[in-house]
Amino acid sequence: MSAIRALQTELPALGERLAEMRIGPFDAQALARYARASGDDNPLHLDDALARSIGLEAPPVQGMKLLAAFEPMLAAWRGDLVLTRLAGKFVQPVLRGEEVVLSGRVLRVSMADGVFLRLFAHGPTRVPAIIAEATLRLAPPGGSE
Amino acid sequence: MVGAELETAALGPFRVTVDAERAAAYSREVGFAPRADGSAPLCYPAVWLTAPDIHASIARVCAETDSVPVHESQSFAYDSPLRVGESYDLSLALRREATPPRLVIEAVVAALGGEACARFETMLRLVPRGGFGAEAPA
Repeated sequence: MSAIRALQTELPALGERLAEMRIGPFDAQALARYARASGDDNPLHLDDALARSIGLEAPPVQGMKLLAAFEPMLAAWRGDLVLTRLAGKFVQPVLRGEEVVLSGRVLRVSMADGVFLRLFAHGPTRVPAIIAEATLRLAPPGGSE
Repeated sequence: MVGAELETAALGPFRVTVDAERAAAYSREVGFAPRADGSAPLCYPAVWLTAPDIHASIARVCAETDSVPVHESQSFAYDSPLRVGESYDLSLALRREATPPRLVIEAVVAALGGEACARFETMLRLVPRGGFGAEAPA
């Protein structure tokens, strides 16, 4: 029991809010670099005229670039926990040149199921760009798995 | 409401590798340095969907439906982290849904010994080309 209690003290508190992380604004070069690294060759992210043709003022930032940014945020928050699940819905685009605020809150904590968080990525509007969730677990002693 | 399933196609397994140089570039572009423990970025497996064989299958569905894929959601779940430099077998199931029109890609990443270590799901809304612009792509 004492060992379990010791582990429980390492877990975050229910309702804990993560420090907000601001990323971007991303310029055309950043979107092009991500396109090369990821292989996402969708021209919509790189072509101003194509973006305008569907009613966007600028090319949208790749959604996966934003979803993936939650991982370093979570690592900065609790590097002793291991991210085992990340899921996100792309609600609306963030455009090139717009800053993004990542935020999160602990919704559930248990030794059996780990730490469950609700995450948001917001562009300049009140409607989130991404609504996501993550599960983190305690790293096994001496390892990161 | 879950849409009616039209068809499911299995692809693979494909032999894939967490390329060190590409993983490092990917890490930089999503905001963090490569990790000292050699584990790959959690979202890295999505890059494998851009491989020619896989990309062609997705493009074929879009062509058949005269639609543009809009990335609607994405998930990753791990039993164990992927390691930079290691190779894996990637198996995919492409499932088309009718209402709303979607292509759902379910992927399993297995170690070469056969043990599954990660799963991910990519959900693409298939927006008719004529109606493109009604929804914003991610």
